[in-house]
Amino acid sequence: MIKPVVSLRGISKNFGSVIANHDIDFDIYGGRVHALLGENGAGKSTLMSILAGRYKPDNGSITVCGSTVSFSSPASALEHGIGMVYQRFMLIESMSVAENLLLSAHEKIGQGDTYQRIRETAEQYGLDVDPCKHIFELSMGERQRVEIIKLLLLDAQILIFDEPTAVLTPPEIDAFFSVIDKLRNDNKGIVFITHKLEEVLKLADDISVMRKGRLIISTKADKKQISKRQLARLMVGRDVVLQVDKEPVEPGDTILSLESLCGDSSVGGTSFKDISFDVKRGEIFSIVGVAGNGQSALVAAITGLDEARSGQLSYLENTYSPREWVNASKDHIAYVPEDRYHTACVGTMSIGDNSGLTRLSSYSTGLGGMLLDRQRMFDDCAAAIKTFNIKAESPDDTAQTLSGGNLQKVILARELSREPKLFIAEQPTQGLDISATEEIWQALLDCRKDAAVLLVTGDLKEVLSLSDRIGVIFNGQILEIIDARDADAVGRVGLLMAGVMP
Amino acid sequence: MIRVEKRTQLPKHHHLIAALIAFVIAFSSGCIIFLCLGVNPLTAYLAMFKGVFGSFHSFSEVLVKATPLTFTGLAVAVAAMMMLWNIGAEGQLVWGGIFAAGTALYLLPSAPVSLLIPMIIAASACGGMMWALIPGILKARFNVNEILTTLLLNYVAIIYMEHLFYGPWRDPAGFGFPGTAQIPEAAHLVRFVGTRIHLGFPLALICALLLFFLLNKSVWGYQIRVIGSEVRAARYAGFNVTRQTLTVMALSGALAGMAGMAEVCGIHYRLQTGLAVGYGYDGIIVAWLAQLNPLAVPFTAVLLGALFVGGEQLQTVLGLPSTISLILEAALLFGLFGGQAMIKYKIALASPTEQSQPAPHNNGKMS
Repeated sequence: MIKPVVSLRGISKNFGSVIANHDIDFDIYGGRVHALLGENGAGKSTLMSILAGRYKPDNGSITVCGSTVSFSSPASALEHGIGMVYQRFMLIESMSVAENLLLSAHEKIGQGDTYQRIRETAEQYGLDVDPCKHIFELSMGERQRVEIIKLLLLDAQILIFDEPTAVLTPPEIDAFFSVIDKLRNDNKGIVFITHKLEEVLKLADDISVMRKGRLIISTKADKKQISKRQLARLMVGRDVVLQVDKEPVEPGDTILSLESLCGDSSVGGTSFKDISFDVKRGEIFSIVGVAGNGQSALVAAITGLDEARSGQLSYLENTYSPREWVNASKDHIAYVPEDRYHTACVGTMSIGDNSGLTRLSSYSTGLGGMLLDRQRMFDDCAAAIKTFNIKAESPDDTAQTLSGGNLQKVILARELSREPKLFIAEQPTQGLDISATEEIWQALLDCRKDAAVLLVTGDLKEVLSLSDRIGVIFNGQILEIIDARDADAVGRVGLLMAGVMP
Repeated sequence: MIRVEKRTQLPKHHHLIAALIAFVIAFSSGCIIFLCLGVNPLTAYLAMFKGVFGSFHSFSEVLVKATPLTFTGLAVAVAAMMMLWNIGAEGQLVWGGIFAAGTALYLLPSAPVSLLIPMIIAASACGGMMWALIPGILKARFNVNEILTTLLLNYVAIIYMEHLFYGPWRDPAGFGFPGTAQIPEAAHLVRFVGTRIHLGFPLALICALLLFFLLNKSVWGYQIRVIGSEVRAARYAGFNVTRQTLTVMALSGALAGMAGMAEVCGIHYRLQTGLAVGYGYDGIIVAWLAQLNPLAVPFTAVLLGALFVGGEQLQTVLGLPSTISLILEAALLFGLFGGQAMIKYKIALASPTEQSQPAPHNNGKMS
C-alpha cells in the first residue's frame, strides 16, 4: 500500500471559544488530488493554514515522509515541501512577475538567467505568464499561475489551493484544471478547498468533507459510490434541494431601460458599447458573461457611479442622459456589488453600522436630519440577523469577522429594506456555500415580485436557475437576449459567452 | 520555543494597556538619558513631579499649556479620522492668531466684550480654516498629498506672521521690539483668579465634547468614519468624498485656528515670536496618544502639558536642558505605537512536546 506523503493526526485548533478544528486526521498522497469540501466556516481554511505553517495546532501532529514535524512559519512548511495558494494572492502589485518570484525564491532561482528559469518551470506545467509584466496588469487567473510557479520554484511537493476557482473565468478554470492534471502526473500532492461539487467529482481522487470543525467523511472518489447529492447532504448535514422554487410572476411595467448606452471603464477594464435592454417588474433579467467583458463598467454606468459616454437611460417614468443620471436621485434602487468586504460594507465597522450604509437618509433624525439614529439602525440589524438567519452574535460584531455568506446576507437585508423598485445584484453568490447560495437565490426570486431584478453574473447555473430573460455579454456588447423558457436558445448561452455565434 | 500569534480578541482595556506600555517605555528611556547626564533619575523625576504638582500655581500652568494642545490635538484627530494627515496645525494656529489679533487691533478695536470675543473666536476659526482649505482643495481637486502641503504651508504662515509684526503691524510704541501692540482689554479672555488659565480652556473642552458628539451621533460623522476606513464603500454608498475632504479640513483648520486665538487673547495679548512654538506639531502626538478619541484628547493634552512644565523645572532646578521633555514626548509616542503592536499579538511559550496544553487566552468572554 502506498504511504501518504503528509499525514495529519488528531489536529485540533480553537480560536477563543470557537472550535475551528476538532481531532482531524487527513492524508495527502503524491500524485493524487484531495478535495476538501465544506460550508463556509466549516474549518477547511484553518486546517490547511495549519498544514501550511500559518497557524499552530493546539493538539495533534503533522508527519511528513514518516517523520514528525512542527512548523513555526509558512517558510518552515515550505522547507518541508508544503506550500499554499491563498484565496487572496500574496503578490506585490507594483512589482513584475519576475521580481515577485525572486523575492520569495531567490535562493532557489540562483545566479543564472532568472527569466529562463521562470519560463522553463512555467512551460513544464503549462503555466502561461509573461515574467516581465507587472502584477497589476494580470488577470486573476494569471496571478494564480504566478503563485503556482512560486511554489514550484520553491520545490513544493504538496500544493494547497484555497478555493482556487472562485476568482477564475470559465476558460481560466479549464486551464487551471489542466495544470492540476500536469501537477498530478508529476507526482505532486494536491489539496484543494472548495464547495463546488462538480469540480470535486471532476478532479478529485480523494474527498474529505468537513462540517462544523469536524471531519465527516474521508473517502476515495469513486463516481459509483458517491454522488453530488450525497456530497451536498454530507456538507450541510441535511438534504439540499439545488433546485429553487421559481413561482411564475407576470412581468409588469418597464422599470429600467437602456438605449444604445456606450461607456468606458474608469479603472482600465473593457468598455461597453451600444447596450440596449429593458428590465420589467416581476422579472429577473440576467447579464451573463465571462468576467472582464465590460460588465463592471456597465454596472457602474447603470448605478450611476460612473458616467457613460453616450446613449440614454430611462428609470420609472423619466429619461436621462448619462450626465443627468449620475446626478439624479436614485431612490429605490438597491445594489449588491461584487466586492463584499471593501465596497458593499466597511470591514472594520460593526454590522449594525454597516446596515445603514446605503440608507442614511432613512435613519437621520433631529437638527434637520443631521443626527443619526444609530439605535434604530442596530435594532433593525438585530431583527435582520433573526429573519435572515445570519450567524452573528449581535449587531456589534465587526463585519470582517463574518463569513462571506453571512456578510452577504447582512448586505442583502440592507438592500432589500430600501424597498427597491430596481434590484441590481452583481455576482451575488460568488464564493458562497450551498445553503447561503440557496437563501440568496430565494431572496432574489422573492424580490422580483415587487421589483425588477438585474442580475450580473458569470455563473451559468445561477443564470439558468433564476433568470426570466438572459442577455449574453461578450467583449462589451450584448450578443443576444434570450427568453429563459426557450430551451433551444438557452442551450446557446454557453457558446455565446465564449463569443461563438451559432 | 517562542511563537507570536495574532490575538483573535483584543483585551478589554487595550487602549489603557497600550498607554501603560507607552508610559513604561518613556519612563525608562528617560532614566537612561538622566543617567547619561550624570543625574539620578529619581531626583530628576521628583523634580519634574514637584514642578507639576508642587503647587496649585504650577499645576495651573499645565492647564495653560494643555489649552492650545487640546485644540491642535482635536484638529489633528478629526482629520486623521478621515485618513487625512494635517501636519499643518502649526500654520493654521498662526493664522488663527493673526486673524484674532487683526480683529482686536484693527477691525473692531472699540467693540464691547460681548461682541468682540465671539467675533474674535469666529475670526480665528476662519483664519485657520482658510489656511487648511488650501491643502484641502489641492487634495480634493488634484489629489495632492496633504502631508507635504500642510507641512510646507506652516513655514509660509510663520514667515507671513513675522512680516506682519516686524513690518506693518509692529507696535510703534514698542521700542523696536518685534511684535504688535497689545490688544485692547476687551479682547482679553477672562482668566481664572490668580492663574493664567483662561476662557480658552473650557472652550477647548466644549469643542472636544462637540466633536465627539458630531463624530458619533451625526450623519456627517458616520460618513467621515466610512470614508476614513473604506473609500470604495463610501463611493458605493454615494457619499461625496470631495466635499467631506473639504469640510474635514475646514473643521480641522478652524480648531487649530482657535488654538492661535487662545494664545494671543489668553496669554500673550499680542502677536509676537512666542506664538509658533510647536503646539501644532505636538497636537499630532496628543491626537495619537488619545487614539483619535476626542474625549481623550484633553487628557493627553494635560499629560503633554505636564511633561513640558516638568521639563522647564528640570532646567531651573537641576540645570538640565528642558528639551529632555521633547525626548520623553517622542519616547511616549514610540512607546504607544509599540504598545499597540504588542497588544495585537501574544507571545506564547511552547515546546513542540508541550503542544497538548491549550494556549492560555485572556478573557475569553467579552460583552
